[in-house]
Amino acid sequence: MKDISNLISIKKQIILPLLFTIIFSYFLFIIFIAYFPELLGKQLANSSISYGIIFGFLLILIIFIVTLVYVFLSNKYIEPEIKKIAS
Amino acid sequence: MNTIAVSLFLLFVLVTLYITYWAAKQISSRDSFYTAGGNISGFQNGLAISGDFMSAASFLGISGLVFATGFDGLIYSIGFLVGWPIVLLLIAEPLRNLGKYTFADVASYRLQQKPIRTLSALGSLATVSLYLIAQMVGAGKLIQILFGLPYDLAVYIVGGLMILYVTFGGMIATTWVQIIKAVLLLFGATVISILVLYQFNFNLNLFFSTAVNNHELGSKILNPGGLIKDPISAISLGLALMFGTAGLPHILMRFFTVKDSIQARKSVVYATGFIGYFYILTFIIGFGAIILIGSNTDYLNPEGGLIGNNNMAAIHLAHAVGGDVLLGFISAVAFATILAVVSGLTLAGASAISHDIYANVINSSNKNEKKELLVSRLATIFLGILAIFLGIIFEKQNIAFMVGLAFAIAASTNFPIIFLSMFWKNLTTSGAFFGGLIGLLVTIALVILSPVIWVDVFNFSEAIFPYKYPALFSMTTTFFFVICISLSDRSNQAIKDKKGFQEQFYRSITGIGIEEGKKH
Repeated sequence: MKDISNLISIKKQIILPLLFTIIFSYFLFIIFIAYFPELLGKQLANSSISYGIIFGFLLILIIFIVTLVYVFLSNKYIEPEIKKIAS
Repeated sequence: MNTIAVSLFLLFVLVTLYITYWAAKQISSRDSFYTAGGNISGFQNGLAISGDFMSAASFLGISGLVFATGFDGLIYSIGFLVGWPIVLLLIAEPLRNLGKYTFADVASYRLQQKPIRTLSALGSLATVSLYLIAQMVGAGKLIQILFGLPYDLAVYIVGGLMILYVTFGGMIATTWVQIIKAVLLLFGATVISILVLYQFNFNLNLFFSTAVNNHELGSKILNPGGLIKDPISAISLGLALMFGTAGLPHILMRFFTVKDSIQARKSVVYATGFIGYFYILTFIIGFGAIILIGSNTDYLNPEGGLIGNNNMAAIHLAHAVGGDVLLGFISAVAFATILAVVSGLTLAGASAISHDIYANVINSSNKNEKKELLVSRLATIFLGILAIFLGIIFEKQNIAFMVGLAFAIAASTNFPIIFLSMFWKNLTTSGAFFGGLIGLLVTIALVILSPVIWVDVFNFSEAIFPYKYPALFSMTTTFFFVICISLSDRSNQAIKDKKGFQEQFYRSITGIGIEEGKKH
């Protein structure tokens, strides 16, 4: 077995912030639903679109972007490191 | 009966039976039966995974929920979606690097095989059966309304076709049926949404304000309503949805059908994209239904409710915007969706029986690949018949709690065991086995004592456990007991378990050793 401490630290640096982003934004959404439902129901000026709907759609976007960013960073930083270890 | 629906559905059955025939010729080994030989690409697997998630229940159920309550439907959609980045960041790659056929391969990698495989199989079968019952009952009722067939006959047709697909076509047929259906469903939902938004010149503001004016709740449909009443329930439901996905055996199984961890990673990105897009469509469809069918007497019964029930919102809307042709298409796709989803579930259950229980617990000393393959086919037939039987028994029962319970078990038993075995070096066999078992029992007990069964099914006036969603309590219970028992475990087995971690972790993050793993 070769030394993989470098690989582990790269992985941590990529995964932990992304994990935090997801957990934070999702629970923010949940907490808003539980404690401030009327705030989410507020509508944008001159419009029937509520903050809740915008937050929800934004969250769907964030979830997708996080998966994209992870794959991008994995290909750029993790895969070369694994190749180094495997060679 | 809608002739377009029937002919499209028959066409789907013919095509999928041909695929099953084609797949059956390629199935020569366990590899091809359980995992399609690892030959599925990341893109194909992404479609298949999204197919597993886009069940008839989520398509019709979520659009129906949006139709009835507006915003609340979005809360569920997001919950189902948020499990995916968790799967990607924590589970997908180590799972692919360590396992071959079932998630029990991973959980028992460095632990004692028999107890851990038994526990994992128990968790798998519990999740799969609950899901299957919910799908079968939903299927029977839906087909009754859509095609005018008797309930029992509908359940027989679904069960019979599913047994054919899985027994003969294994994972190859199951995956391709799922892919075809996912494409059809995404296409159908896109067409409905475009036709709806076209009526508003794609002006979202006008679209939402018309919906508000049309709904009896008025602008309340734009904010959270009665779905979640207190913060504890909100967080508990959030946890179950977030971590439940990472413990669903029929989803985890799909990661073994791709070549390596790079493809596994890709599949989650595609799946997340498709599922997210699909949930946006269900939201538009639900709001479209509020506007176009909510006050159209053609689709309402004399009491003012939707014909059928709220879950028929998407189906009625298809008729309202696209006439008999689109109605027929969507009905056929809904039927196809049920078939594809129950097939995936049955295969996951069958592999838990044949690969975990039979090959590694009952008959572990005498490994025989041909026999294991035979057992998995028999297990498929057994589960298929069981599903038909349960589908008929539960026809008149209140089954609303079942998918919730499946997610709770997945999040509170399967997920902690998989997660800790991958990342915690001090996990021991006793800790995982007894902690996991306690977690499983506590989850089931809490659900029984909660309002969803104690009040809604048993008709007691007040629930003993006040919250509808147990995950916050049951997940913490499992983690607590697994960790405490592991830390106090002084047995020789515990020393062996901990010693194995280094090598397992090395393989799990580098993927080195995975090719050898496939051969033994």
